[in-house]
Amino acid sequence: MMMWLLGQTQPQPYELLRSPLPVWDYWYLLALPLCLGISIVYKSIRCDTMRRVPREALVLCVFILVVMGLAAGALAALVQVLAG
Amino acid sequence: MSQDRTHSVPAPLAALVAWLVPGAGYLLIGQRARGLTVGITILALFVMGLLIGGLRVVDPPDSYRQPLQAVYQRPWFVGQILVGPLTLVAASQARAVPYSHARVWEIGVLYTAVAGMLNLLAIIDTAYRAAHGAGGET
Repeated sequence: MMMWLLGQTQPQPYELLRSPLPVWDYWYLLALPLCLGISIVYKSIRCDTMRRVPREALVLCVFILVVMGLAAGALAALVQVLAG
Repeated sequence: MSQDRTHSVPAPLAALVAWLVPGAGYLLIGQRARGLTVGITILALFVMGLLIGGLRVVDPPDSYRQPLQAVYQRPWFVGQILVGPLTLVAASQARAVPYSHARVWEIGVLYTAVAGMLNLLAIIDTAYRAAHGAGGET
């Protein structure tokens, strides 16, 4: 039954603002603009002068991405240990 | 960056304007660079969320008569509505768009809700700066 249902599922053609963006294989790259946006807004609010924002936002963005990568690696290792 | 003048604006008015149009609260109190940076970034995140997941990522509750039930039913909409009336416009258009269960759709929801939560920070900061006269230097 499940195989029959999966067989009936056809990828829908992309329609702007109606269907999800067809980035199934590299969806994780969408974390980059999100982290950059969060960093820019956060540092724009926190910094006294806007001159410091570009550099500090970039540093914060890289920091978030590195920590997320390390957390993902640690969780993947934990899953491997528990599964094996 | 330009040196902008401080404008005396009541904090509630600055907060309301900041909710109506992201970043506009800063413009109102005279912080042009900060307002443009925050506003463009928040709107870009929100529009990117719509482009990534489709209009249906904005999913309002069926009824507002029981607020707690509405929040429980659609928790992400609380974040999304903080972007302002633009969310209501998107929600009105989203009714005709089918649901999706794709992972990318979830990322679209995340983008729009994070944009709203960032705007909440901006609203609070705008009201604080308006109340304490911290406008001017950008």
